[in-house]
Amino acid sequence: MSEERARILGMLAEGKITAAEAETLLDALASTIEESTAATPGPAPASDWPTGPSASGTPKFMYVKVTGKDKVDVKVPLALLRAGLKLTSLIPPQAMDQINESMGEAGMSIDFNNLKPEDIEEIIASLREMEVNVQAADGDNVRVFCA
Amino acid sequence: MILPPLVIDVRVKEAGTRGFRIWFPFVLLWPLLLLFAAFALLVALLVDAALLFSGARYHHYPLLLLKSLHLLAEVRGTHAHVVGSDSLVDVYIY
Repeated sequence: MSEERARILGMLAEGKITAAEAETLLDALASTIEESTAATPGPAPASDWPTGPSASGTPKFMYVKVTGKDKVDVKVPLALLRAGLKLTSLIPPQAMDQINESMGEAGMSIDFNNLKPEDIEEIIASLREMEVNVQAADGDNVRVFCA
Repeated sequence: MILPPLVIDVRVKEAGTRGFRIWFPFVLLWPLLLLFAAFALLVALLVDAALLFSGARYHHYPLLLLKSLHLLAEVRGTHAHVVGSDSLVDVYIY
């Protein structure tokens, strides 16, 4: 825990500030961290990413956005997904059987042996229309879409 | 032409600390990667030839290796940005 965060929580425990004030201070602290890091040179910040699926054109990236207590933004190239799916068609049968078995045990009964190259392109193309939006009971919101 | 990642940029910052940033030029590892790939491809070709002569149905190890390298190259553009209540982690591969 950082010194500032501990100090805010200490003030809250001592009754010097209210819970609402502590929350405001903690939010301010988090945004200060983000702003100071965003100021450094580097890739485009996550705030510049699209906020929803693209209406037209071929999607290039899959975005995973989690908002709530913590904020998570992940951008994965769809080309990686395509390459990964194509790789599955070359995995030795013995290894593929083990993979399918392990995935089945984990509750994902997908048989990669049935995946054909033409299916891969269809999956990628249909991702354009996909949007997953999960609202958790604790206030966290998870969105997955391609753009 | 598909190329492996050039740079891996990792930034970690916690409230009250200066944090750190690793800007790793992955491009410097390309010669090593090339050597490894060439060696692995040679071994895979030998294994494949042996499998082919023994009548095995599966003999695609060189292709599997090349597709694995392709997968590595497609990692370019991956970006993860996590902001916690008092910390920030940013990983970008390009």
